[in-house]
Parts: sequence; C-alpha cells; structure tokens
Amino acid sequence: MTPLLSMKNVRGGYGDADILHGVSIDVASDEIVVIVGPNGAGKSTAMKSVFGLLTLRGGSILFDGDEILNWAPNRIVQRGICYVPQVDNIFREMSIHENLEMGAFLKKGDLSAAYDRVYELFPDLKERRKTMAGSLSGGQRQMVAMGRALMLDPKLLLLDEPTAGLSPKYMEQIFQICRDVRATGVAILLVEQHAKQALAFADRGYVLAAGQNRHEGTGAELLADREVAEMFLGG
Amino acid sequence: MTFLELVNFYIIPGLVLGSIYALGAVGITLVFAILRYAHLAQGDLATLGAFVALAVVTGLGIPPLAALPVAMIFTAAVAVGIDKVFYEHLRERPKIVTVMASLGIALMIRSVVQVIWGVDAESYVRGIVRPQTYFGLRIKDREIYTVLFMLFLVGGLMLFLARSKWGKAMRAMSDNPNLALLSGIDNRKVVMLTWIIAGGLCAASGVFLGINTEIKSMMGWNMLLPMFAAAILGGVGRVEGAVLGGLVVGVAEELSVLVLPSEYKAAMAFVILLFMLLVRPTGLLRGKVL
Repeated sequence: MTPLLSMKNVRGGYGDADILHGVSIDVASDEIVVIVGPNGAGKSTAMKSVFGLLTLRGGSILFDGDEILNWAPNRIVQRGICYVPQVDNIFREMSIHENLEMGAFLKKGDLSAAYDRVYELFPDLKERRKTMAGSLSGGQRQMVAMGRALMLDPKLLLLDEPTAGLSPKYMEQIFQICRDVRATGVAILLVEQHAKQALAFADRGYVLAAGQNRHEGTGAELLADREVAEMFLGG
Repeated sequence: MTFLELVNFYIIPGLVLGSIYALGAVGITLVFAILRYAHLAQGDLATLGAFVALAVVTGLGIPPLAALPVAMIFTAAVAVGIDKVFYEHLRERPKIVTVMASLGIALMIRSVVQVIWGVDAESYVRGIVRPQTYFGLRIKDREIYTVLFMLFLVGGLMLFLARSKWGKAMRAMSDNPNLALLSGIDNRKVVMLTWIIAGGLCAASGVFLGINTEIKSMMGWNMLLPMFAAAILGGVGRVEGAVLGGLVVGVAEELSVLVLPSEYKAAMAFVILLFMLLVRPTGLLRGKVL
C-alpha cells in the first residue's frame, strides 16, 4: 500500500542555507508517526517542509497522489493537511467557538458537522465554547489548537511539539487525544522533545540528526536500540 | 461657576469634539491592529472627506448629512487606492518605512486639497445656529447628531466585527497573523476591508468636524495628535477603547481651558499620550503594546 505522505530525500531551509540535507519520512493513512532527535536536528523544520513553509531545493513530497513540493500553505490546507504550530497556535482574544470557525474559514456551506466532530473529540471545549481561548490552561489551549486544525477534515494532521511546556498529566491526555483523532481516520505526524514517551506512544518513529535521517523503526524498536538510547534518550 | 455651566460650556462641547476624535481614532486603532503601523495620513484623509462633502453640498445643494455617505465612500476608495499604490509595496519592509511614507501621503493629500479648494476656511451652512435648551442644558442639534452618528457608526462596526465572517477574519488577523494565514484567511481582503472602514470613518470624522466648526485644509492634521492619543488611551486594537479614549481626550481638552490658557488646549492630548505611554502602555482596555 502506498503511504499517504511520502517525503523522499528532501533538502532545503528557511533562506539560502540548507537545514535539511536529505530527509525521508513516510506516513500511512492510519498511522501516528513521531519525529525525535536532539536540539537543532531539524525536526520541526522537516515537518514545516511538508506544509510549504520552507524553500525546498530537492527531493519530493508525495501526498495522496500529488507532488506537493513547494506548494503554498493555503493550497496544502485545501488538499487535506493541517498544521498546528508549537507556539501561538490559538486566537487568544476570540472564543473557542470562533477559533474553530476560523479553522474552517476555507470551508463553504454548513459547518455543523465539523463542529460536532470536534466537540465530540473535546467535550471540555463544548461546555466552554463561549470562553476566550486566551484564558484557558495549557492543555485546553492545545485542544483548541488541534480542534481548529481538524475543522477542515484533514487527512493528515501535523503537530509541532504538542506537549511542550505541559505537565506529565496533560502529556498523557494529549497523546490520548492523538489516538482518538487517529481513530476518526486522520493520520498524525508529530515532532516531540519528550522522545521516550513519544516513541512509546507512536506507531513508528524517525530519529533525525543534523538535518538527516539517522534511525527509523517502530517505537519499540527505536526504544530498544542501544545507539538511539545513548545518543538521544539519555541512556 | 455652576454645575450646569460646567456641563454646558465644557462637558458637552468636549463630548462632541471627543466623538469626532473617536471616529478617526477607531480607524487608527484598526490600522494599528491589523497592519501594525501608525498611519499618519489619517488626519488628512479626514480633511479630504470634509472637502468632498463640501463639494457635494455646494454642487447639489443638499445638507451635509446627506453628503456624508458620498464622502465616506469616496474617502474609503481613496484609502484603498493609496494602499494599493504605495503601502502595499512596503509591506515586507520595516514598519517605520511605511510610517514615514504615510507622512508623505499626508502632505500629498493636503496639497491636493489646497490646490482644489484653496486655503481659506469654508463652512457647510452660513449663519449662526442657536442652541436649544433642554432642562437647562444648552445643546445644538448638530451636536446631538454628531454624537448619535458616531455611536451608530461605531456600533455597526462592532456588530460587524463580532458577527460577520469577514469581521471575525479581521479580528483573527489582528490577534495572530501567522495563524490566520495558516487558516487560509486572505490577507489582501482583510487589508482592503481595513482601509475601507478606516477611510470611511475618517471622512465621517472630517465631515462632523466641519459641521461643528469650519472646513480648512489643516483641520485633519490638527486632529492627528488627539486621535492618536485617543487610540492609545483606549488600548490599541480596541474599537470601544478608541471611542472611550476619544471622549476622554475631547473632554480633557475642553476642561484644560479652566486652568491653562486656551492656546495650550492642543497640548492636553500630548500630555495624555505621554502619560499613558509611561504609566499604562496597554491603554485603559488592555490593547496591544507596540
């Protein structure tokens, strides 16, 4: 079966200098795939390259049969990939409901099915739909951010360090939400600092270092790999 | 001095002047929030609006209030045009470049107004208007409808921002521009909408200043400082704040005559601006810090 997303040997960066020197990542249509690696390995950059936020100078990115290399982000959004940035990923001075509405900005017609789907995933948000998003706790904000991204019914959700700055309790909650989202038929590619926990939770993982693929495998395989453990996971 | 005298001679004129400032300040605050620069041609756009209304009033012989929509639409179109021809090309450059460019635009607009209409003071209607007295309050009709129209226009704008899809898109762009772009909101349309609103409100502010005082080529420029003071006092990005700020600055300017020589009236706005920037830069209603 061909994967939903297939990055092959992608090279590029934000300006003239390359940060990615050949990254290849596959995500199947029902998978949770995590990218881990040391600081400065190009994890977030690799993910942003999928979303058209970089200048790419080589390689290929196939998504659902289309070559999307260097497409503009709004075209990629409409094609079925949504992206949740690590920071500033909500509209603080807008209500939860308005945040979701903005997520569906490109969608024509009735939004009620999309609202229902998101509120079913995040019942907490439904109760507080009129609350300003800026007044929520870190975990709830992350839910709003993911809910906003899910409004367009994406096939693939990109999450940039969704657990950054959250307590372990919330980390588990976010991971559980990822599983719930996947259960609705959305593939997830995420970047994580908390490598151990993330590999334990994801289906497969990629270890990047210095802008290149270093290791790949199922979460369990990578956790068991001595080299990976020594290099990135602190023994 | 009795309380009624205080109200009649200072508070009421202050609220009227404040309503005029508020209209311009709302435009300033929106441009600040969405485009993130101080637009210095705001005052001269108001002048242009006032003179366009004058042309309609003298040309068609209709009252200034009937000419107001024409002036608003015309000035909105001019604002959109200025953005397309000048500011749009500077969008990727440091904001200070656009601020300076807007100063140049201000001088250009004023020069065009002076070439077409001259430098003498004009008025929409000749003759003296006597105020009516209601329960001891001396109010002119034009003062009532200045305040009412300001509330009507700003109320309509607030409803638009709260309820409509594009109004929400404007708020989203002001709140988090990157996320708004990631959500697929068309930045160019939001910018155009911002100029239509700012230009239209500018014209209204100029027309009402003309109705209550006189129409001259420096009228808008002289309002620029109080309008900025009002926008910052209310909190940048806050429409209701700009109205509150406008009213406070207007009343403060009128009251300052009690303690200062009247030539220093304009300095009041500057004092308020300076004080707010030092003490509470987010403004009364917690706006953005720029």
